[in-house]
Amino acid sequence: MIAKVRRLPRFFGAWVGLTLWLLLMLLLALYPYTGVSSLTLFVGSQVFVLVTLASNWNLIGGLTGYVDFGHAVFFGIGAYVMGILVTHLPLLISPEWSFWQALPISGVAAAVFALLIGLPTLRLKGPYFSIAMLGTFVVTREIVRVLRPLTGGGSGLSLPPILNRLGDYYLMLGVMGLVVAIIWWIHRSEFGQSLIAIREDEIGAEMRGINTTLHKIVAFMIAAFFTGIVGGFWAWQNTVIDPDVVFIEARTVEMVMMSMLGGLGTVWGPPLGAVIIYFLQDVVWGNLFGVHLLVLGVLLVLLALFLPEGILGALEDRSSTSIGRLLGRVTSRGRN
Amino acid sequence: MIADTTEQPLLEGRNVSKYFGGLAAVNNVDFAVCPGEIVGLVGPNGSGKTTLFDCLSRLQKIDSGQILFKGQDVTRARPYQIARMGLARTFQVIRVYRKMTVLKNMLISHQWKDRSILRMLQPSHVNTERRARELLDFLQIAHLTDAQAGHLSGGQRRLLEIGMALMPDPDIMLLDEATSGVNPTLIETIKDRLRVLNAQGKTFLLIEHNINFIVDLCSRVYVLNHGEKLAEGTPQEIIENEAVIDAYFGS
Repeated sequence: MIAKVRRLPRFFGAWVGLTLWLLLMLLLALYPYTGVSSLTLFVGSQVFVLVTLASNWNLIGGLTGYVDFGHAVFFGIGAYVMGILVTHLPLLISPEWSFWQALPISGVAAAVFALLIGLPTLRLKGPYFSIAMLGTFVVTREIVRVLRPLTGGGSGLSLPPILNRLGDYYLMLGVMGLVVAIIWWIHRSEFGQSLIAIREDEIGAEMRGINTTLHKIVAFMIAAFFTGIVGGFWAWQNTVIDPDVVFIEARTVEMVMMSMLGGLGTVWGPPLGAVIIYFLQDVVWGNLFGVHLLVLGVLLVLLALFLPEGILGALEDRSSTSIGRLLGRVTSRGRN
Repeated sequence: MIADTTEQPLLEGRNVSKYFGGLAAVNNVDFAVCPGEIVGLVGPNGSGKTTLFDCLSRLQKIDSGQILFKGQDVTRARPYQIARMGLARTFQVIRVYRKMTVLKNMLISHQWKDRSILRMLQPSHVNTERRARELLDFLQIAHLTDAQAGHLSGGQRRLLEIGMALMPDPDIMLLDEATSGVNPTLIETIKDRLRVLNAQGKTFLLIEHNINFIVDLCSRVYVLNHGEKLAEGTPQEIIENEAVIDAYFGS
């Protein structure tokens, strides 16, 4: 006989996560009023960007189980759409767009691209999908480099420099708050549970009445939409974009690493992983410049070996990993 | 329950063929299952039973022939579409969602009743959960409700898979070796549960190596050998059929 799992009352258990998240959002919204420096605001918006990216990657890579090694392509598309729309380019007849007009288009463009590329690639299973997406990423970068009249080619585009640290902070706080809340919602909905079913057994899911193609495409498009939004924002904040700063493999690796560290397929894992990785990178970058990539690479290997389910995954299923068992001994009594 | 075979078949295959390269896995097979029947599908290993199942449930495209379900041509339907029409199946290699709890496995298998986008954005309905718990009780695995599916024994997983197939209240169930790897007591449980379900009007098509199981449950049996239909008849006729004995034990 398997013992019953200790559970919180249903209502409390279901909503506690979102309530705490909204509370945290409120605190972060009040934070700038404590008189922080503009550098702190900048750091804040960067962390929010990473949390958003990690959560989005997790939707397709963690929840649906389609490990996307080219997800930064949507970031790049968002950034370039922003860049093209706000700089006055001869190809466009209308005058340049404002940031607020261009931002949603960045997301929509990424989502449409996800639809077009997802229809063929999401038929592929496991590593074949990952490699196809990596290929998509590299090809898109080269196309951007070649389309000189539209994208400025290798030298890229310069966006109007408008510095608004407080605005950036609040915008990304809002986007992050929304994205994580959406992921939380998806996770508890039948849609999200269907995505997990697809991850666990796609043929079984299809045979039990789940339209797997539609589910995967929709998840992929949502993940791409917000990644595109973040890309658009990043281009605006960074003011200079070119293929080599926008389309970098490290950005995808970062998303994968943050999701893995926190816990693939969990709601709160990727945000946690993103925060840890950001500050870890900061420390490593500051003290070990030159070998920082080496350190992060080793960390990724260690993660895959010892914490494949991430921090939250190990806490949830303590018996499955050595670190999980250790955590279990330290933090719980009588869970079994 | 012996069905009236003059009525329209629920599930029908006409000249179904499936080739893997030059190998005819299923070759020109005709068959029909009528509402309320329990039909057995037997044959030596590699005779094409599971391939026929895969063709019927649309996981495999057929190379020629026609498949009808409830009188509709479903030869080109997608698996989820035929599932939503009321066909459920289990698999020879058990397919459960290993990292979900038993209850969540059940809930997410309730897929095609009153589906709308609004519904999909919400957690499973309380009625769905009630049905899941009732079925787990019916299959005598209620004590495992909160266990992770991956931690269950083979036999318990078979029962869970049957439960998942039952969740949407299908009209026909295709069970692929529901008793393999299951201990004798549990086999009796499964047999007993299938009888109850059949009495409630459910139709079954069973792939089975356990001949007693077939004799006890089925009203008709098809025998496949090398992808072709070798014989068809009542269980008694089949176990006395020379050609069938030859195919199983060699001549």
